[in-house]
Order: sequence, then C-alpha cells, then structure tokens
Amino acid sequence: MLSLSTRVGLNTSRTALFRPALIRGIKTIPQPPGYIVGTVNDAYIPPKPHKLEGSLHWTSERIVSIGLVPLVLAPFITGTSTVIDSSMSALLLYHCYAGFQACIIDYIPARVYGAYHSYAMYLLTFGTGVAAYGVYEIESKEGGFAGLLSKVWKA
Amino acid sequence: MFRSLLRQQTTVQTGFRGMATAAAQTQRIKKFQVYRWNPDTPEIEPKMKTYEVDLNHCGPMVLDAILKIKNEQDPTLTFRRSCREGICGSCAMNIGGTNTLACLCRIDTDTSKDLKIYPLPHMFVVRDLVPDLTHFYKQYKSIQPYLQRDTLPADGRENLQSIEDRAKLDGLYECILCACCSTSCPSYWWNQQQYLGPAVLMQAYRWLIDSRDEASKIRKEMLQNSMSLYRCHTIMNCARTCPKGLNPGKAIAEIKKQLAFD
Amino acid sequence: MARLSGLQREVLKLYRACIRTVKTKPVDSREHWRSYIREEFEKHRELPKKSFNVIEHLIRTGHRKFEMYSNPQIKDIH
Repeated sequence: MLSLSTRVGLNTSRTALFRPALIRGIKTIPQPPGYIVGTVNDAYIPPKPHKLEGSLHWTSERIVSIGLVPLVLAPFITGTSTVIDSSMSALLLYHCYAGFQACIIDYIPARVYGAYHSYAMYLLTFGTGVAAYGVYEIESKEGGFAGLLSKVWKA
Repeated sequence: MFRSLLRQQTTVQTGFRGMATAAAQTQRIKKFQVYRWNPDTPEIEPKMKTYEVDLNHCGPMVLDAILKIKNEQDPTLTFRRSCREGICGSCAMNIGGTNTLACLCRIDTDTSKDLKIYPLPHMFVVRDLVPDLTHFYKQYKSIQPYLQRDTLPADGRENLQSIEDRAKLDGLYECILCACCSTSCPSYWWNQQQYLGPAVLMQAYRWLIDSRDEASKIRKEMLQNSMSLYRCHTIMNCARTCPKGLNPGKAIAEIKKQLAFD
Repeated sequence: MARLSGLQREVLKLYRACIRTVKTKPVDSREHWRSYIREEFEKHRELPKKSFNVIEHLIRTGHRKFEMYSNPQIKDIH
C-alpha cells in the first residue's frame, strides 16, 4: 500500500513520518514544484561544466580499475615486491574512494542535502586518509599487503 | 456480379460461424488491475481498480484492452494514446512491472494471473496513467536537438551527408521519446533533476555524431560535469526495456568514450 | 505566530506571488482575479496538515496554473 501511494510521485515527504529521529533531524532543501525551474517551456539548465568532475574523473577511474587487474594478479605469478604491493594498495584505495564518492553523489546529492553532501565528502576524504596511513604502516612494518595476507593464511 | 455476391455471402456465413464458435468457447476473462488517481479529489488515495475483460472479444494488445475498458466499462479511465502502432510513444506505461508501450505489448493469455498497469514509475502523475513529462521535455530541449551550423551548405541549398555518415544514425534516430528507458533507470529515479537520463543522452549522442552538425564542442561541454552524464552507472535497464529495441546504454558509453578522448 | 513548516511557507509563497501578479492585470478585472485566487486557495482550506502528498500536488498544479495565468495576454477571469 505504501508503494502504491508513493507512486503519486511524492516519495520523499510520504516517508517523513516514519523516518527515525536521527534522520528526521536532517533538514533537506525543498525542491522546486515538479522539479520545474523557470517556465515550462524553458530548457533545463545543466550545472556548470567542470572537466575535473567530468571526463577526467571518469577516465582516471577506468584507468585505475583496469590497472588493478594485472597488479592483483602479479604477486601470484612473480612473487611479492614492495613496488607492486604498494602501488596495488594505493590504486585499490583510490578505487574505493571513487566508488564511495559516486555513492555519495548519488544518494546524498548537494541539490537536496546541501552542506551534508560536503560533510559526507569530508568524512570520506578523512577515512581515505586514515586508510592511506594504514597502508603506509602495513607496507613499512608488516612487510606489505601480500606478506600480511600470507601471515593470516598461515595463522 | 453474381460470383462476388456469392463470395460476400460465404464470408458473412463464415463470419457468423466464427462468432458462434467464439461464443461456444469458454469465456476467457482476464483481470486488469489499473492504477487510478483523480486530481479533482486529491485527498483520496490512489488505488488499484480491477476490470474484467473477455479476451475473446478483445484485440491482442494491452492498449486494445484498456480502450475496451474505457469504451464499455469506465469512461473516466484516463491514459494517453494516439497511433496504436508504436510510433508516437504516447501510451508508455508500466505494464506487469515493465515500462513499455501499451500498443506493442501483448496481453498475457494466462487468465489465472492479473495484469497490473501503472503509470511510468517515479514521475509525477497527472491523472490515472498519465505521467507529467514536463521535466523530461525540458531536459530534451536543453541538449538542443536541432542542426547547428555556422557555414552554409556547399551547394547553397542542402546539407548533404554520405551514406556511411547517415548509417551512424541508425539505431539512434528511431527513438520516439516515450520515456520508457529514462523512467526505468534507477539513477534517473534518484537524480532526475540533474541527470539527463538515457533517452535524452541518446539524442545528445545522435546530434553529437551527426556529420552535418558543427556545434559538437558546445554539446560536449554541456555534459562535462558530474551530474548530467556521469550518473550513468551502466545499469542497462534502458536497453532492456526499450520498446523499440534500441540501446541507449551503448550510446551513453560512446559519449563517455568521446569525452575521454576529447 | 507559530513557526511555519516548509510546506506552509511554500503555499504562502505561491499565494503571495499570485496576489502580486494581479497588479499586472487591467484595473477593472483585478477584483475578479483576487476573488478567483482566494476561491482556489479556500477550496482546500480544510485539508489536514499532514497530507503532504496532496499539498505538494496542489502546489505543483498551482504553480502550473499561475504560470499560465500570468501570461499578459490573459486579461480577465470568470
């Protein structure tokens, strides 16, 4: 029945009553009625072009994910080395970062959540920073990611 | 003269016989659950209303059935339709869980199951099965879907195109903008205000690769942000649902490729 | 005055915009416009506060109508 009533197309406000208190506290930006900005006959105005967020971001994402494939397979063939290992972890970290970034853009859009979008991005950057430090620690002290894995495997 | 009259008579007879056998057959009653909501009484919640149609006296397509319902059972049922042959894209709706054109969708003859008909998902509903496509059309307008040239054609009359260049547009120009693909895309559901959606992006690509068009720089620049184009996560619902058998997902991938090597 | 919810503010915003636009209409038809606007808003006065769906729909259609009627070529109503 709920799914039926949300089909009227007003999905956000319908659920407002049932949302837990923590989320209810978050103020969202009201959207223009019917998503229509300007008159009905005006063309939609896209956001400002920003190459870094557009094609460059996409290209780097693809290069990283393609580059990860040989890097993940390499230790099984050639044995471990710090160079392969650290570059693999760094790329994997960026891969995760880009993936979570896409999630945030999808589900916490700045258009609706305003500042919360930036907070989520800061949190992600912070988390990535912590993870990067962790990667550095593993690489320098634990003898690399592959070394750690084999240690865990034996234990 | 006599022969033609005779033939007429036989056809009439066979026609009668056809009717007689149909009546003798068991009725094939199919239940249609149709989404109903009236904007004149907005305080009444939308509901599903069930109609029974005998498939023996109904055309094969879903549009035939809802036209029959509108004619014979409930004249208040509202929906868009025009060409009844899949060329206008008016009758796009969600039938049995898939976005498709009612005029191209056969009725499942299994009468034990009900057929559910909803308007296109995640669009504002104007009434019953009529979605509000204003924003969709605004987005379509924003990609400037017309030929843009600074130079005049060589012969001063017509912009010519080679056969190979024309062949590139096959699989793109057939789009009838029924919005089936856009409204089936989860990414479009979440961010339809800023993400252009498969249908519009496919048209953007269609104008991008047109050999006669000279504005590809502006066209590409328009898509250079995180929302307009790159919210496509290759979910490919668009290609699966397209009632015309087109592949908007591939067109979007081609745009991404073009932008990457820009 | 109690703090208004976002939706209530939206409604008031629409109402104000409508009433302001009356000034662009010819003097002798302004009274018609005002009464029409009031009538349209009064129709749904009894609507419960929590029926967000309905109110949002009404705001949406209201904006649509507002845009149509603010066309300077439409001079009078009723």
